[in-house]
Amino acid sequence: MKKSFGLVLALLFSISLLLSACGGSKNESSSSPSASPSDSSAPASSAAASESAAPSGDSGQKVTLSFWTLFDGGDGANMQALIDEFNKTHPNIEVKNTKLVWGEYYTKLITAVGNGNGPDIGISHTSRLPDLIDQGVATEVDDAAQAAQVDWNSFNQNLLNATVVDGKHYAVPIDTHPFIMYYNKKLLTDAGVLGADGKPVIEPGADGFVKFLTTIHEKLPKITPFALSNTNDDPYRLWWALYHQLGANDVISQDGTKAQVDADKGAKAAQYIQDLYTKGLIKKNDPDFYKNFQSGTAAVMMTGVWATGTWESTKGLDFGAMPIPQIYDQPATWGDSHTIILPATKDNDPAKRQAAITFANWVADNGQIWAKAGHIPSKPSVLEKPEFKALPYRSDYVAVADTVKFMSHSTKSWQIRDLALFKYLNEVWANKMAPADAMGKISTEIDKVLKE
Amino acid sequence: MRMNKLRADVQALLFLLPFLVIYGLYTIWPMIKGVEMTFYKWTLIRKMKYIGWDNYTKMFHDQEVWAAIWHSTIFVLITTPTMIVLAIVLALIANRKSRLQKFYRSVFFLPSVLSVAVASYLGLFIFQPYMGFVNSLLHLIGLLPSGTELFWLTELNLSWVALSVITLWWTVGFNFILYLSAMQDIPDEIYEAARLDGASDRHVFWKITLPYLNPITKTITMLQIIASFKVFLQIYIITGGGPLDKTRPIIQLIYTTGFRKNDLGYAATMSYVVFVILLVLSAIQYWMNNRKGAQA
Repeated sequence: MKKSFGLVLALLFSISLLLSACGGSKNESSSSPSASPSDSSAPASSAAASESAAPSGDSGQKVTLSFWTLFDGGDGANMQALIDEFNKTHPNIEVKNTKLVWGEYYTKLITAVGNGNGPDIGISHTSRLPDLIDQGVATEVDDAAQAAQVDWNSFNQNLLNATVVDGKHYAVPIDTHPFIMYYNKKLLTDAGVLGADGKPVIEPGADGFVKFLTTIHEKLPKITPFALSNTNDDPYRLWWALYHQLGANDVISQDGTKAQVDADKGAKAAQYIQDLYTKGLIKKNDPDFYKNFQSGTAAVMMTGVWATGTWESTKGLDFGAMPIPQIYDQPATWGDSHTIILPATKDNDPAKRQAAITFANWVADNGQIWAKAGHIPSKPSVLEKPEFKALPYRSDYVAVADTVKFMSHSTKSWQIRDLALFKYLNEVWANKMAPADAMGKISTEIDKVLKE
Repeated sequence: MRMNKLRADVQALLFLLPFLVIYGLYTIWPMIKGVEMTFYKWTLIRKMKYIGWDNYTKMFHDQEVWAAIWHSTIFVLITTPTMIVLAIVLALIANRKSRLQKFYRSVFFLPSVLSVAVASYLGLFIFQPYMGFVNSLLHLIGLLPSGTELFWLTELNLSWVALSVITLWWTVGFNFILYLSAMQDIPDEIYEAARLDGASDRHVFWKITLPYLNPITKTITMLQIIASFKVFLQIYIITGGGPLDKTRPIIQLIYTTGFRKNDLGYAATMSYVVFVILLVLSAIQYWMNNRKGAQA
């Protein structure tokens, strides 16, 4: 009897563990107002007192802003450098950085803002912005931008437009990070496909790129001609690029209510990539395609520009960077942007918001620091700065910023990507589904996601 | 006498109070709140809309949910029996009097101290094609012709094998310890008597050891079914639920629904259905154990 009682307890306990994991993290917000360390209701804070001797600003009161970021590695270090520099040059504003883990960032941001414990400044991908706006997390920034005298014309309009909804600005874009191509100069020389200018010799069009890869494959049989993962993001990004190079429309309708996959073009693009796998030009089930390229056993690879910083710091890797080849009618590639948003806070204090947008604009103005990781700055003026020009490789692909095809302005764009596109395209790459069938299933799945 | 008992009860209650308060606040209350969630369209930011039984009716027509419950069931069916056999075999090995006894005990138990992430990433390294340990070994002993690869992580049947092997290796240590201590509780005299009567090793195992282990086997079976049904993280890390969501367990679907699709109400509904399934399973087993106990 006693033992069975113990078992029941054990059962209850394990089930409650399971349930509490699904119940969401519920903070009692009243007990710990940690997100507002020194707001305007406490004017006699020590920081403000010591600042008052130097009345350089309009009020002399120091504003402290909490900033949540999702950057790690090189990105994280560069963002910290930007924050430190900003704090040094702006005595009346202090930005405090909280680094969150990538995979948890959005969930935490949304929950915290819902509880009234969100940060003053946050990061959002452009593709995630509609969702954050819809949930009331990202706020409209026009008022604050006007107060801080932000000149919207100073941004790359292609990037900026992706952050405007119904004529209102919701974010300050700080970069774009498109999908580009990297190549190993030594291997390309060995295969005889590197031109005198240090750029690959690729004949134009769909056959040209296949011929280029086939030559590498024949000349260097032990080398992977084209390193790419076999699932999810990167092959999808290539598909997205080719799909738009064919001039296809977005995968959902303009009003965001139903699927509108251009099945013929989508299948054509998918077929092209599937052939690269089946012909052995992309290694099937490559366990780690980054490492494959990094260790000099792959001739070309494609991924986002963020890899530039990693390749630069790899000893003995002589590489080049360029836009992905134009396979079809018009140049286009996949891309996303990091933007700075002002999440809704309890009081939406205008002074804080003005300071926050000042910071965001300053980060965009100093894109040469942010570009160290490989990103393309969001302001064309930064591209003219000598510090930016001194960075190698970036200039080889900055033009891509104008041809980035952003994902639809949908609150469900990430769900559509993960649950419909990744899922069936992965089957195509594994050669288990015909491209045309996949397009049909993708349409059905997108409709399902949009209806939920 | 009665007063004393009352006093003891009050004292016990006082000692239990801190636990009860915390347990109530962080376990019982969320459970009640969770039931409330199932009747709402409830998002991360708590935009709530009362929708009555909609989540439940939707769920009973949702193929994905039933497929995911079936995948969790497959995992239970594969891992529970193998886990028990493996734990007994390992316990038998470690229980034999030999110089390696201590070595066996630590080696068999050691993997279970790893976190799920470490175990899963080891699994990824071991089973990956081209340079993974398993394929390299198969190449070495000639079972796999060179130039061919087994794609353990992307072929459906092979993924189940890989997921089960990793889970068994990682979690068998706990059951192994339970069996080992149960074996050590079996009185030596019984074995001696059996030997005197000329019983073979096999006889001793089937007629003495195994029956004596019966109670602990029942406990382990029940705990293992519950644990296996709740499988999530190793699958999430190793196959991500693929290919085509065919290894996606119900907990992963709950997670995706709640945190990716931002539909906590529906996720809570699924959680409670899983709760009921586990409750029914446990009740059946509890009832069967009691009935057998009464007969004995």
